[in-house]
Amino acid sequence: MERILGRENTGWMIIGAAALVLIASAMVVVAFGMESVAPGVHDAFHDFRHVIGMPCH
Amino acid sequence: MPLKFGVKDGIIVGAAGGVLWGLVSMAVNSATGAFAPEAGLVHDAVSFTLGGGLFGVVAGAFIGAGARFIPFGNIYARSVFTSTLIWLLLRAGGAMLSAIEPERYHVLTPETLQGLLLSALLGAMIAGVWSFWKGPSREDGDTLKA
Repeated sequence: MERILGRENTGWMIIGAAALVLIASAMVVVAFGMESVAPGVHDAFHDFRHVIGMPCH
Repeated sequence: MPLKFGVKDGIIVGAAGGVLWGLVSMAVNSATGAFAPEAGLVHDAVSFTLGGGLFGVVAGAFIGAGARFIPFGNIYARSVFTSTLIWLLLRAGGAMLSAIEPERYHVLTPETLQGLLLSALLGAMIAGVWSFWKGPSREDGDTLKA
């Protein structure tokens, strides 16, 4: 039977999972324009946020 | 063997589909006129590409990770369900922000409806990229296995 969770794979899985969490967090920051987390993100993605239907001012 | 759509495949396909979706979203908004863009075309092209890529990667990863839990066998149904669910969760967060700070976060119905349809389109585009990448459905259909 193929071994899926070896030590090497586990390390890469943790790195991949951390990267995914980072990307998902970035998506939330972009979706809500969180200036306190990433200064400039509100203006940078302002039109994008409106077009995808997220509330903005 | 059923077609396998894992998290890794989901991220790759989601990134490609998301970038395409971002640019298509720009075009759709131009056609509907739901929101009048305030930035220039080049600025929006970059931000929609990056934003679409982010949404696509996350949606693709969830499509791959949730293959065992999402109650649809067809790749299009599964992708549309997942991307729409992600949008609804984000929109629920937006509604909470709007309730907390109504003077800052305004809810506009045309944009919201457009966003809902675009989220479904994101799923369809990710599934389309997957089908294009892996070829047409095999005899076992588009069954996904995590």
